[in-house]
Amino acid sequence: MKTAIEQWLDTCRAKLGEGKLTDDDFLRLESLLTERKQMVLYLYSKSTNMRSPIASWALYDPTKPDEPALPSQEIPYASVIEAVCDGWRIVQFPISKLYQFSDIDNAYLGYEFILEKWT
Amino acid sequence: MTDVQPTMNDKRVMEFVSNGYVVLEGIVSDAFNRHCETLPGGQIDEFVNTPEFLKEVIMTPEAAGVARSLLGKNFLVPITAHHHLFETPHSGQFWHSDGISEYGYGVHHLQCYYYPKAVNLEDGPTMVLPGSHYRLVEREALAHYGNIIGQLSLTVPAGTVVMTHYGIWHKAGPKLNSTRRGMIKYSYFRSSPPKRDWVTDSDKVPPYVNQGRHAYASEVECYRDLIRCERTWAWLCGVESNDDVCRGAKLFMDARPLADIRY
Repeated sequence: MKTAIEQWLDTCRAKLGEGKLTDDDFLRLESLLTERKQMVLYLYSKSTNMRSPIASWALYDPTKPDEPALPSQEIPYASVIEAVCDGWRIVQFPISKLYQFSDIDNAYLGYEFILEKWT
Repeated sequence: MTDVQPTMNDKRVMEFVSNGYVVLEGIVSDAFNRHCETLPGGQIDEFVNTPEFLKEVIMTPEAAGVARSLLGKNFLVPITAHHHLFETPHSGQFWHSDGISEYGYGVHHLQCYYYPKAVNLEDGPTMVLPGSHYRLVEREALAHYGNIIGQLSLTVPAGTVVMTHYGIWHKAGPKLNSTRRGMIKYSYFRSSPPKRDWVTDSDKVPPYVNQGRHAYASEVECYRDLIRCERTWAWLCGVESNDDVCRGAKLFMDARPLADIRY
């Protein structure tokens, strides 16, 4: 899951090797830096431990139009820590005491970690 | 009075208790499915009260048999319905449960989805989350969930009826095309106390058999699911479910009475 800047770096490294890097590429980088937007990723971990498996996820990417996409069972990251390794920053950790439950009833689905990445 | 025969046995009732839905594929005739091809979207109470809809959908032996099995004798027959019609691409609905979740261990209400036309993945099938019907949730607080491990897209042949526990989480899935996708939603209700009077081999009530873990459930959640299912099973069988004085301690390990010990 690469950001636009990471994609720019990949492209421009290749261009540099070929001697094709131009001022337009830097104008594009400047544009990317000034237009940065926050992507938000919800990961529902099966425990409060960041290495636990994921039960559910939702990605909100404001740079992409809200177009229909088929449902998926392919988890983007196996755990929260794997997402962190890929550059996502955690902006909210689950707070255990806020998860309502009685002995056998509960009102939640996994422990919610909210992460951000800037495009 | 119309005599309706139950169609479910202990095994199928237990599967419903665990999953929260029953799929009856292709039970409605092709002729009646075609009859629904031009039905407009919205409330269609008059249509569901026609003798044809009653005979061809509501009172088919398969659908009525499930209602009879899970809701008992003299169940209430639907007289209102809504046609959920989608004819253009959309991103899909948010996960939700309808109205108030009707939380609890009983089964009082079966909400049904009838699909007159085959539904493929690109058509925006209804999605359900098996086993979600026991969660006490704030309806609008499910809306930010995206994909959930174990979610099920109801891709079904024409004439299929899906009968669900009212509290199940569901949504219209993303639709990628402009093919007509209709779903008629209506409900049966219980009017008599629960009793194990579905198809049985003996009068002895068998213990609930664990149907396995839902893929999204954590370790403690699958223990909770099992106990909740055992309570619903006992409730459906009309068996008093006394509080376990061991307070769940025998969930994993069994033990015997002190009086039986000889050494």
